[in-house]
Amino acid sequence: MWTRLVNGVVCLAVVGIASGCVDEQRPERETAALAADTGLTDIDLAVAAFNAQRQPGELPTVQAAPVDRWAGPGARPFEVAVRTSKQEAGHPRRFGSITLETALRIRPVSQYPCTSCHFGRTVVMTDDRIDDAHQNIQPVHPEETGALCSTCHSADNVERLALAQGEPVTLTESYRLCAQCHFQQAEAWAGGAHGKRLDGWQGRRVVMGCGDCHDPHSPAIQQRIPFRAPELERARTTHE
Amino acid sequence: MSDDGNSVTPDGAEDGTVLQKPVDRRGALGMLAAGVAAGAAAASACRPLNAATPEERELRVLEWQEFTQKHYRRMTDAERAETIQRIERLAKIRHDEDVTIATTDAQPGVLFGYAFNISKCKGYRNCIEACINENNLDRASDTQYIRIFEMEDGGINLEEADATYQHEVPAEGHFYLGTQCFQCANPPCVPVCPVGATWQEPDGIVVIDYNWCVGCRACMAACPYWARRFNWAQAEVPLNEVNPNQHYLGNRARKKGVVEKCTFCIHRTRKGQLPACVAACPPGARVFGNLLDPDSEIRWVLANKHLFRLKEELATEPRYWYFSD
Repeated sequence: MWTRLVNGVVCLAVVGIASGCVDEQRPERETAALAADTGLTDIDLAVAAFNAQRQPGELPTVQAAPVDRWAGPGARPFEVAVRTSKQEAGHPRRFGSITLETALRIRPVSQYPCTSCHFGRTVVMTDDRIDDAHQNIQPVHPEETGALCSTCHSADNVERLALAQGEPVTLTESYRLCAQCHFQQAEAWAGGAHGKRLDGWQGRRVVMGCGDCHDPHSPAIQQRIPFRAPELERARTTHE
Repeated sequence: MSDDGNSVTPDGAEDGTVLQKPVDRRGALGMLAAGVAAGAAAASACRPLNAATPEERELRVLEWQEFTQKHYRRMTDAERAETIQRIERLAKIRHDEDVTIATTDAQPGVLFGYAFNISKCKGYRNCIEACINENNLDRASDTQYIRIFEMEDGGINLEEADATYQHEVPAEGHFYLGTQCFQCANPPCVPVCPVGATWQEPDGIVVIDYNWCVGCRACMAACPYWARRFNWAQAEVPLNEVNPNQHYLGNRARKKGVVEKCTFCIHRTRKGQLPACVAACPPGARVFGNLLDPDSEIRWVLANKHLFRLKEELATEPRYWYFSD
């Protein structure tokens, strides 16, 4: 009864909020023109603009872009936390099982940039070294679904992802890529039932991205040893 | 220590029978405490009559004042400040701890709700670890507010669930369900308290005044969810592991013979932070928020997911829902 009442109220309230949801704070697009003048890549400029507007200690985030099929009550404005290597704003970010720093990141791959081997559609390196170059990737997800590298990665610019309709997106918007197939999870994520909220229950709504918990190439959560068990011997023997 | 017996309490509590009684006896005891303090001061000024150090004498005075302090809901703002100062000083003298104790009241227009995703919980118990550290739970007796039950897929049978599993998780063919205090809207633990030491705050959190609790454990017998814990001894926390960020109604030091329970991390949530268990949950199986905010995540879960609560037939109305994907 009470739940039904809440249901009705939520639906009414959220229609109003969803209509006010605006796509903003997309620095890479605004700075694209600047990039042409200075010779810096637009990603470099995006990183600079991003860091300039961030308070010290503030959790780095990107505004979540509207995604297809999020039309329901979950289409509220929220921010997605960007993966960083150091502790930020009290969030150690040691969740999940993945260590790859490719998911939802504001910085481009710098140490071994993809472009050192991939140049447009041309692969510079010889085929027999492909496995060496990608040895940290376990392609479980592509093998099970029959996907190719180019299903998710842009063939023209390997540092970008490619949506199904061809739109290239940066790694900070990897959740848009995942949402194309996993739309139910994306809806639950946008609504608040999937994924993890950071930064408190009040104020800014900052959530973790898909890649914070799921390795994009091997998304299943792995088993691990839990925290120690409670000592409940007394309670158990009384019952038996 | 003056008291007129008719003063309106800070949060307007006027319903408890105990709270309505005049506190002449306590007032008198309080006067006595002041007398002891003055006497101790006089004694130390005149001659070293007893062997106690000034710090020990201060400790005795503070302990006496603590023994005679009022019920938390009857305290005026000044008395609250005095009480907090005393508890902080006691922590310093007894355990050399520098703690900060808040008395933050409930935010207006906030009613806390909690949802637990049984599809997402992997049984890691990181919530328990975070809870122990955050709430200064007794290490000696291994007190834990949260239990994570491992159950076989296909049904919910808490009688045969295993909370002491120790193997790699998530185990094949099993799911996990966590329990803690559900902060019921109709809490059976509150009316049974003979001294009014436990009550429900306006934001829905059921709290205990540890200084008023007499340790009868009636609330533990009344709770159908086994959510309350008893301190058989003074809680022991290693000095370097004490969380100094405390609340009077929450994670401050509990003494021997009082009951304690989960307060949704009252010292965190009243400041807008998430409870420690929510913040620590690796898969994000825990959802927390304001039930009165139609834009909150908890409301989205309540509106869009299949829900159940434990022992709903008891009409305790827990503000803690379980849902699945």
